[in-house]
This record gives sequence, structure tokens and C-alpha cells, in this order.
Amino acid sequence: MANVLWLQGGACSGNTMSFLNAEEPTVVELITDFGLNILWHPTTGLQIGDQVQDLLKDIIAGKVQMDILVFEGSIIQGPNGSGSMNYFADRPMKDWVKELSEVAGYVVAIGDCATWGGIPAVPPNPSDSTGMQFLKKEKGGFLGANYVSKGGLPVINVPGCPAHPDWITQILVAISVGRIGDVLIDEYHRPKTFFTDFVQTGCTNVTNFAQKVDGHFGKRSGCLFYEVGCRGPLTRASCNNILWNRQSSKTRANHPCLGCTEPGFPHHDLMKGSIFKTMKYMGVFPKEVPHGRTKLAYYMEAGFQKVMPKNHKVMEASK
Amino acid sequence: MSVKELNISPVGRVEGDLDVKVYIDNGKVTRAHTQAAMFRGFEKIMAGKDPQSGLIVTPRICGICGGSHLYCASSALDTAWGTKLPPNALLLRAIGQATETIQSIPRWFYAIFATDLANKKYANKPLYGEVVKRWSAYVGTTFQKGLTASGLPVQVYALFGGQWPHSSYMVPGGVMCAPTLKDITRAHAIMTQFKNDWLEPIWLGCSIERYLEIKTWDDMLAWVDENDSQRNSDLGLFIRAGIEFGLDKFGQGVGKFLAYGTYLHKDHYQNPTIEGRNDALISSSGFFDGENWHEFDHLKVSEHVKHSWYDNQEDGLHPWKEPLPTPAKSQTLEDSDFDGQYSWAKAPRYDGYACETGPLARVIMNANPANKDHQINDPLFGDIIKKMGPSVFTRVLARVHEAPRLYNFINQWLSEIDLDGEFYIKPVEKDGKGFGATEAARGALAHWIEIENGVIKNYQVMAPTTWNVGPNDAEGNPGPIESALTGIDIEDPTDPVEVGIVARSFDSCLVCTVHAHDEKSGVELSKFKL
Ligand code: SF4
Ligand code: SF4
Ligand SMILES: [Fe+2]
Repeated sequence: MANVLWLQGGACSGNTMSFLNAEEPTVVELITDFGLNILWHPTTGLQIGDQVQDLLKDIIAGKVQMDILVFEGSIIQGPNGSGSMNYFADRPMKDWVKELSEVAGYVVAIGDCATWGGIPAVPPNPSDSTGMQFLKKEKGGFLGANYVSKGGLPVINVPGCPAHPDWITQILVAISVGRIGDVLIDEYHRPKTFFTDFVQTGCTNVTNFAQKVDGHFGKRSGCLFYEVGCRGPLTRASCNNILWNRQSSKTRANHPCLGCTEPGFPHHDLMKGSIFKTMKYMGVFPKEVPHGRTKLAYYMEAGFQKVMPKNHKVMEASK
Repeated sequence: MSVKELNISPVGRVEGDLDVKVYIDNGKVTRAHTQAAMFRGFEKIMAGKDPQSGLIVTPRICGICGGSHLYCASSALDTAWGTKLPPNALLLRAIGQATETIQSIPRWFYAIFATDLANKKYANKPLYGEVVKRWSAYVGTTFQKGLTASGLPVQVYALFGGQWPHSSYMVPGGVMCAPTLKDITRAHAIMTQFKNDWLEPIWLGCSIERYLEIKTWDDMLAWVDENDSQRNSDLGLFIRAGIEFGLDKFGQGVGKFLAYGTYLHKDHYQNPTIEGRNDALISSSGFFDGENWHEFDHLKVSEHVKHSWYDNQEDGLHPWKEPLPTPAKSQTLEDSDFDGQYSWAKAPRYDGYACETGPLARVIMNANPANKDHQINDPLFGDIIKKMGPSVFTRVLARVHEAPRLYNFINQWLSEIDLDGEFYIKPVEKDGKGFGATEAARGALAHWIEIENGVIKNYQVMAPTTWNVGPNDAEGNPGPIESALTGIDIEDPTDPVEVGIVARSFDSCLVCTVHAHDEKSGVELSKFKL
């Protein structure tokens, strides 16, 4: 049993929309079968007649227990630290968050905006947005590097733009059923259970990756790493194991991974030449190489494989 | 009188919260002001960046209509770069747009709109018991079925885009994917499940073909009474309860309608241009002044900022001429001066008029006698608007009316994909200006781009919600929701549920808080979330 309060700051509601796609369990089952009690949610909040402002005050005063504070969206601090670019219930949202996180059992940041600032924090960061406990790769964010919730954990980061519904529901369930001890977090506070393997694990193009067979938009088969900037080998997420909408993933649909679960998305801050193009040295070598490889070793091996006769099988693709 | 805040119902939201302040005098709303309460500055973020930034950034403006933003962002680049589009790409983009829109119909109806009709205000109406039984949030008998079915169409989106929300699969020159037979077959099967789980048995109570025979309001009434299955379907119940509850009597709005249209035809837009767009649309564009239809011209669109929190900008500029936003100092609703700046939303105008956008505008354009053969020709809402005028009821009926037709289109477009054909033609990048537009589920959405020296010089996004929730313009004319609220009767000023129903009928994709004030004393009567 856990009381959940879900708030949105500088958000697009994409994580809420993703959450509503949850299937095992569904949002309704979370409530009816998994003991989640949603105190309030901007889309699915239901307490007809409840006084939202009073609820927040009661939580802060300790009259209502809040086991989980879910936050979606960036913390908007602008202009000049006032937070007045994002009012909620007659106050800057950031002021509510500060006080609520002091009484929260656990704080779960959902999506890139809440975890590390996301798109709103791309320079020039017009709203002075930051994440709950990180700003891009840098620890600190809004609550500070030393923040821990009453339950003894820092902010649990469930990144993604948006986060996959299962990543969200499973963490909420783990807290609700008392298995939070099984949730290990990495250096970016991501639950390791989802963010240890790379997106490439399970990608249907991985043989082509190994054989250096290039993929392109509108073509069947081929790996997206070499020309259109796939970040699958650099990005930790379960997208090719726990599929999206039960059906697919970006890379299975021939869509380069954008690296949305790594701090810093959108990578290279959208600079010219960084979108759907592999950034290269000397027009040949990818600037960023798969995780855990030195550039030199990777380039030597890749160069060798490129000139090897190609295995015909992997280039075959059929409608 | 004590101030109270009631969370009377949920609503999906996007760019922050919407506060609505209404003044009530003798049980009537005398004035209404809408305040969008969040600023992120996406247009500023994109300036100076890669020209394709919009493909990644703009879907994240709104998680509810991300696919629609993508449709606009790719089209804006198509027109700026002068790409070539293979028919398959046009089909797959249209399928993406249509699946996003059709998922939104049950999701919006059950999770956002219908729970309102379970308000105690209607407790004395004969159909109230049935409404509560079916549509109460979470526990209603059809609530969960509708909500669950809403996840199916976006599974189809994911087959081609990888995921929903937030794919970037539509790119200038086409689409990223190159589907196979198994994707197409599976997509048909998922749509069939949507039809069999919800659309026919629960929503219509008849076949899609039977429903699409309805051409006039009288046909619609006859359809309801034709048999028990149709009368007792959720649509049948909505029509009966909507009229019994008087939803056709309030929330008229500005009476002017604007649609950019959508679904570019596979054979008519292979060489994308701004000029060629109107004729290539399957769901037509246009401006309806209450009597007549007029051809849409994007150059007649402008934005006013007199009452918006932006400085250093003139009123009435076309988006290509608008500067990047300079945020001004904002206030809480409490402290706002409605003669000055009071919202983060700008006030868009077409040919100087505030316009309603959304499904009602779309189906009115579908009734335009000048529509071409490849365009939707459906006289129903031409008739309804003449007989009944706009209201909460007609707005909602328009929203749900689109589901059966979109279902057919999605299947048709899937069957037209040529698996041996091209899906993408690599474009040549160049500087220039572009315009891309579509119909998001909740209304007209457009992007304007200017590329200079290989980077974005200016990017302007005008969302349907901005059209509908925008504040007064420089001449003091109210926005559509402000206007639709003015004059409505409030039965219980401490629980002005009518205000919520009107605002929600526009599906603003913002969390709205309504603040009701007494016109004479200025005392706040009530405040509630909707
Ligand atoms: S497409 Fe991307 S994730 Fe898949 S194998 Fe290639 S680099 Fe890896
Ligand atoms: S494939 Fe990459 S960009 Fe897409 S959701 Fe997974 S981590 Fe994010
Ligand atoms: Fe939206």
C-alpha cells in the first residue's frame, strides 16, 4: 500500500500518456490490485471535491502520508530564480516541490525533464530548467547532491523521453509491495534492472552492426550506427527487450536511437549536423564509439571488417 | 463566503496549467479570462540549431499530440527544402496522424469529458443513473473498456514509428521505416481488435457502415431510435443524455471556425509546396464565418500579444515575422491585471478573427460543398450547425463522429502501401522558409520555419490550444473559451460545473483551474480543478 502524489512541472505530459499505455499492470490494476492510492494526478486525479491546495498543505504538515512523490517535467526556476514561469496552485511549482520532497517517503523523477532537465534545459535554457537531482550529467539539480528522502534514497531517476510505462509502473509497484530493497541504482540514480543493458541488446540489426552493413531511412535491414546516428550502443535502456506499445522499438522500426535515457539528451544540444547524422572524424570514423571500447581499437577493427567480404545473408532483407 | 478548491475532474494537460477566472452576477457569467501558467520557450531553444531540430523537439511540446507536431515539423521542412515524397511516405504519415487522433477519442471521452456528466447537478435527470453506471471514472462499466481500447491504435503507430508517444519517424523526404507484410497484417489485426472490443459493440451499437449512412441531424435522431442496440450504445446514450442535460444550450463560442485540414493525399502531394497543400488534403482546410466557407491562406494567420507575457513584439504579426519570444514578468491569477498582460498564451487570429479550432471546425469543413472528390464530403455537420448552432453538445458530437471514418481510412491507407515502393527520398538541404500544418485531435496545429546559413533562424509553433485558450487580442476581443463562457447560466455559484463542462468541451489539453468571482463584490466564490 502506498500513497502517491504525481505532479507536473515543465512537462509535456508525455510520461503520463506513456503511463496510460501501461498493460501489465494497467493503471486501473495498479490501483485496484497493487495497492497504489493516487492522492492526486493532473490527468487521472479523481478525488471529486478534494481540495488540491489543502491536500498539498496537509501532506507538508504531516497530516497525510505521502509515500511516493512522482515528478514529471523540469523544475522551472526562471526568471531569476523566482520560478514564476510555472505557477501551480497559486505558487511557483518549485516551492511546492521543495517542501513536498522533505516529507516524501521516496521521490521518483519520471522522464528526462525531471531527471536531468531534458529539452527545456537545452541552451539557452529560457526557463532556467533543471532536473530534480541532476542537471545533465552533473549531480545537484534542484534538490542538491546530498538530498535523500525519508526512505533513505536519493531521487530515483526513471529517465526516457518519455519513460516506458513498465519502467514507471514496476518502480511504483516495488515501493508499494516493499521490494524497494531490490532496486539498485547506478551513478545516475537509474534502476539498474532497466538501465544496465544497452539498447543494442535485442536490436534486430545487431548482426548488421557486427558486419558493418549500413542502414538508411526507408530501407529494410542494415544498422543505423554508421550513417544516421543511432546511439543504441551508447545508451543503457531495455527498449529492445521490453518493447514499446507491445509491438516495437525505435531501432526495430528503422529509427535511430536518440539516446534518450542518458543524461544530456538531446545530445550535442541539437547543434548543426548532430541530428540523424553520424558525426564523423575525417568524414569516415564515427566520433562516438560503442561503450567500453577505445576509439583506436574500434577504428582498427571496423576498418578491417569493412574491407572483408560481406556475408551475403545479413544484407538480405525481404518485404 | 469561503473559498474552496474542488478537484472536480481530470483533464490531460500540456504546457502547464490553465487558470480560468469567471465573474458571476445573478447566476450568469459576465466575464471570463483564461491564463496559461507555464513557459518553457521551445522556440528560443531551437533558434540557431540544426534545421531538423523540430523533428525531435516539437513532439515534446505536447505528449498528447506529439505525432501531430511531427507531422507539421516534417512538412515544414518538406516545403522549405522542396523535397519529393513517395506515396508510401504520405500514407504512413497519414496513418500516424490518424491513429493518434483515434486513440484520443475514447481516451478523451471517458477519462476527461464523460465523468463530468456524473456530476450531482444532473442527479434529477432520468438518464443520470445510467450515465453514472457507465461513465464514472475507473468504476464505470464502459470506462475501463474505452480506456483500454484507446491503447490499441497507438500500437499501430508504434509498428511504423517505433513507439508512441514521441517518435520522430516522419522526416523530410518521407519516413524512416520500410514496413514489411507482417507489419501491415498486424496493423490491420490490431485495428480490427479496436473495432471489435469497443468501436462497434460499445460505442456505436451498429456496424461502421450503418453509422456512416447518417447525413443529417434527423438521420442521427432516427438512428438513435432505430433499435435498442443503437439507443443503448454509448453514443446513443450520449446523444440522449446530452440533450436531456441541456448540453446543446450553452457554450456557443465565437461562431467562427478554422481548420488547417490534414491527411495529405498520396497522389497529390509528391512535390510538397505551401500553395499546393489545400488541394492535396483529404480532410479539407478552411475558414467558416458562420454562414460561408472560405479558402484557407496561412498568410492570414497572425498573433496578438497585448495581453500575453511577451515584450518587444507588435500585435498582429504573421509567424514568419514574429520575433523569438521575450518573456515578460508574470503574475499569479490573483495578482493579474486583465487590462494588461495576463497569459503565456498568445492570441492567434485569422483575418483578424478569433476562431474555434478542433473537431467541430474540421467536420464543418468536411461539409463544404466545394470539397473535391478525393476529399471527405460529409454534409452532416453543415446541417447540424445550421439547425442547432455550436454548443458543448455539437462540439462533443463532432469529436466522436470522427472515429468510424478514421477507422476506415486507416485500413484503406494500410492496404494502399506498396511494399515494393519507396519510403524515403533523400532531400537536399537548403535555406528557406517553410510551413507545415495538420489537425491534431484537438484542432489546428502549424509550424513555421525559417532556415538561414544552415541553421534555424526562426521557428514558430501555433497549437490548437493556443487558438482556443488564448487571451483577449489588441482590440479587446476575447478568445474562444473566454467567449464561450461569457453569458452562461450558473445554477450553483459555489459549484459552477457548467464552466468546467464548457472549457472541457474544447479539450484544451491543459489542467484548468476555474476561479469564480462575484462580479459586484469581487469575492472569490469557488475554485476548482477540472
Ligand atoms: S541499429 Fe542501433 S541499436 Fe541496432 S544494432 Fe545498429 S547501432 Fe545497435
Ligand atoms: S530507443 Fe533510444 S531514444 Fe528510443 S526510447 Fe529507447 S533509449 Fe530512448
Ligand atoms: Fe496539445
